Amino acid sequence: MKHLKFISRTVLVRNENVDEACRVLNRIMGSEGFLDQYRRTMFYEKPTQMRRRINYEKCKAIYDEDMKRKINFVLRKNRPEPFPGCY
Amino acid sequence: MFVRVLRDFCRRTTTVPGGENVVNRLIHVTVPLEKNRDRRSFLASVPRKDEGTEGEKFVFIDSAITNFIFLRKEEMFPDINTPNMLFGGVKFSDVPICHIKSSRNNTILHVTKANGERIMIRSCGMEGFKNTRKGTNIAAQATAISLATRVLEFGIHTVRVTIQGLGPGRMSSIKGLTMGGLKIISVTDDTPISWNPLRSRKQRKL
Repeated sequence: MKHLKFISRTVLVRNENVDEACRVLNRIMGSEGFLDQYRRTMFYEKPTQMRRRINYEKCKAIYDEDMKRKINFVLRKNRPEPFPGCY
Repeated sequence: MFVRVLRDFCRRTTTVPGGENVVNRLIHVTVPLEKNRDRRSFLASVPRKDEGTEGEKFVFIDSAITNFIFLRKEEMFPDINTPNMLFGGVKFSDVPICHIKSSRNNTILHVTKANGERIMIRSCGMEGFKNTRKGTNIAAQATAISLATRVLEFGIHTVRVTIQGLGPGRMSSIKGLTMGGLKIISVTDDTPISWNPLRSRKQRKL
């Protein structure tokens, strides 16, 4: 699907703040995965490389999820006993 | 700390008959000891490799946007009415466009009218930068400044900018345009990205 030029992927510059507008644009492009996809498709990715990359990404996502849960658990507030294990 | 003590120990001042104090160093000891330090300071002074995408790694978009002073989110992104907005008496859709293509080895800036008619084209190679120097951010900035000054003579003061590619000139050429005196009203990313691409060229051997 073709996107409208100057509507999609566009940031308007306000108050002469061009630098900030560019940074916001880059940030959005980066977080949406556009730049990664561009870098990845610049050169042919061999099937083995692709499999390895995808496996790595899967493992990392699982690890990140677990770690996030762990950190949230340790940093949780409102526990019944404020300092567990400290007598 | 230890290195400094040792170095001071190795350093001896001798008085030359002329009356000046001269610092002597024991070459065998001092040079290898300072080599590490020198390399570290050298690496610290070298600028980091510029991928041309400043701000890409930040994740918190919403907080970044709300950090704008006097800005609301609606004002930052175009909507249905944007093409009819007036910028210096000209409709947004009629403002000239500056196409920037920043590749690994060169940066090409191309100013066109809104319908795509060419007004001016400059590249780092045309600007006198040759070979690897073409693919630097300094070259891109210099090219953009010279392009901006030339375009101003044509009576063009405001432009929209589209960027293609992730070369070193991606950000610095935009900076150069503003330094040259052009007013940029919008920044668009026009990088060709496909999720089902043709088979691209083979990987570079390093």
